[in-house]
Amino acid sequence: MSAFPLQTPPVLDVSGLGKEYRIYPSPRSRLKALLTGRSHHQSHWALRDVTFSLERGQCLGVIGNNGAGKSSLLKLMAGTLQPTTGRMARTGRVTAILELGAGFHPDFTGRDNLYFGGSLIGIDAQAMRGLEDSIIAFSELGAAIDRPVKTYSSGMVVRLAFALVTAIEPDLLIIDEALAVGDQHFQKKCVERIDAFRRNGCTILFCSHSLYHVRQLCDVALWLDGGRQRAFGDTEGVLASYEAYVRAQDPAGGSADAAAAVLETPAHAPRTAGQPLPGQAGIVSVQVDNLDGASPVPLLQSPDLAVTVVAQAPAGECPSIGIMLEQAHGVGITSLTTHNDGVQPQPLGNGLWRARLRCPDLPLHTGEYVLSVYLFDSQGLVVYEEWMRCALFKHRHPLSMPGLVRLPHHWE
Amino acid sequence: MYCLARDAQSVWNSRRLLWVMARREVASRYAGTAAGAVWAYVQPLLMVAAYYLVFDVVFAMRLGEHAPTRAVGTYLIVGMLPWMAFCEALSRGMNSLLEAGPVLQKNALPPALFVARSVLASAAVHTPLLLALALAYAPQHHFSPALLCLLPLLALQWLLCLLWGYVLAILAAALRDTVQLVGFALSVGVFLSPVLFPLSMFPAQWRWVLWANPMTSLLTGYQSVLLGGAWPGMGTWLAAGLWCALGALALEYLLRRSRDQLVDWL
Repeated sequence: MSAFPLQTPPVLDVSGLGKEYRIYPSPRSRLKALLTGRSHHQSHWALRDVTFSLERGQCLGVIGNNGAGKSSLLKLMAGTLQPTTGRMARTGRVTAILELGAGFHPDFTGRDNLYFGGSLIGIDAQAMRGLEDSIIAFSELGAAIDRPVKTYSSGMVVRLAFALVTAIEPDLLIIDEALAVGDQHFQKKCVERIDAFRRNGCTILFCSHSLYHVRQLCDVALWLDGGRQRAFGDTEGVLASYEAYVRAQDPAGGSADAAAAVLETPAHAPRTAGQPLPGQAGIVSVQVDNLDGASPVPLLQSPDLAVTVVAQAPAGECPSIGIMLEQAHGVGITSLTTHNDGVQPQPLGNGLWRARLRCPDLPLHTGEYVLSVYLFDSQGLVVYEEWMRCALFKHRHPLSMPGLVRLPHHWE
Repeated sequence: MYCLARDAQSVWNSRRLLWVMARREVASRYAGTAAGAVWAYVQPLLMVAAYYLVFDVVFAMRLGEHAPTRAVGTYLIVGMLPWMAFCEALSRGMNSLLEAGPVLQKNALPPALFVARSVLASAAVHTPLLLALALAYAPQHHFSPALLCLLPLLALQWLLCLLWGYVLAILAAALRDTVQLVGFALSVGVFLSPVLFPLSMFPAQWRWVLWANPMTSLLTGYQSVLLGGAWPGMGTWLAAGLWCALGALALEYLLRRSRDQLVDWL
């Protein structure tokens, strides 16, 4: 017997991958290029020299600004696009959630589409007969499964499509911003299913603008910028570099009075009260104690920061509430959530829950700060609602010094 | 022929899916109608009935002495049915990639599968009709064994449609105008073929133009078999084989040039 453990090959191995889109000045030039190979075209490299590999069970978050090449990368991984340079090796079953419902015929019933859609992703009729009931149950379509798809709402279509593509657990799951599927209840089911795949050892490639989800789900992250690989490695390290880059790019970041600028923009006006629909999850109110409201940026008149959040959750579900504290111009200081701290919000009845956060003797130096509030499901996987930068305040520290925080400390 | 062989291999590997897709294609053309896929067969049959009644029964029109048959309706049916099948398969094959663009961009499937699906769907509709036609004409020729030639003629016709349909589908992906041009060529092409008039009625000095139509050779083959109960001449097989070989070469050339960009163009 060998003394060395058997080494399994990577589920995904990508080396020097590049994708060039040729942009022709006219369709005639494209035809000329096709027929003769000689034509003027502009090259747009959506991806260049991307190299990484993923082991079984790893979850990779692909991050980057719009146009960074994330979707092109995912399409290459899914096999729907052909690379211009480099090579890629995948092992096992690959499932891609790129656009749910593409290929459904509106005149056929959900069941017909289920069988046909299944055949497109490698589930033949015999296998589908075994999976049919569980797919219909997951999609919650009930009797509607035998109605033409054209009578479905857009939510019903994506529910059926998601249930179909995730009916068989793949070895590599590719997800393009597809976590927001259907209503809140179904989103939660989707995220739970993906999380179950992850725990079972499925390798996941996940492209998202939600850094929260990347942090929650991913072991490693890949940062793409203008088609090039800026960083690949441990999620926290890559996200920290990306966040620093985003802050440096943000023109408001350099402004001395950025917070005031944000407040003056109607689209960013702070929210303090909301009215979620009955039975839906949503934030109801956010209240910061001891603020002097006379000035444009209220002054915190207490050494403690006390925030009360009231939120509504679906019947029978205890939500998690999160609060993020940042400097007014965007440097994050801390994020605190009830589910990470092992506490439950207090039930108020009628689906309402209250969480009260107190930071005693706020150890921040004098400056302007802003709070964002999040409402999650109980496990913190689904973001039901977020109120970004909803409470701005000024804090004065009696012994203000250069720096951001006054850390708990002692001199020896 | 590396690219062509690779595509052929991928279609063969997905043959079960191909059959599912072809059935679905036929069903989706008539989705929402009460008769469903029956319409696919009814329309050509009605055309055949109309030709027979109008030209042979009502007007009793006759062709010249050198024609393969005297009855105009009988002659038209033998040419028109394969020509309609050719036009339909070629057009659908040509449009198949453009129509499948959204699906190809979201599913890792070989583009060749969609061209093959469209041609197979047309073949599934028209092959039984052409075989039924053979049964109708067979008693006139005392069930001559030459009627068996219908099978290789049909196979060559579908191969021709597959190869040239794929060629045109790639050209249409690069330049959408291809669809308009081919539509026009098909509507004119019926006059540059022995569908409406026997070859002998064309002026001898212009007869070569007919051979620029890839269906001319096959149509003469169908006419030999169904109207004369005779084996098609060597020229029929050579010309049909040549058109298929030309299609294969053109397709290989275009596949090599468009390999990593084809889906981007859809």
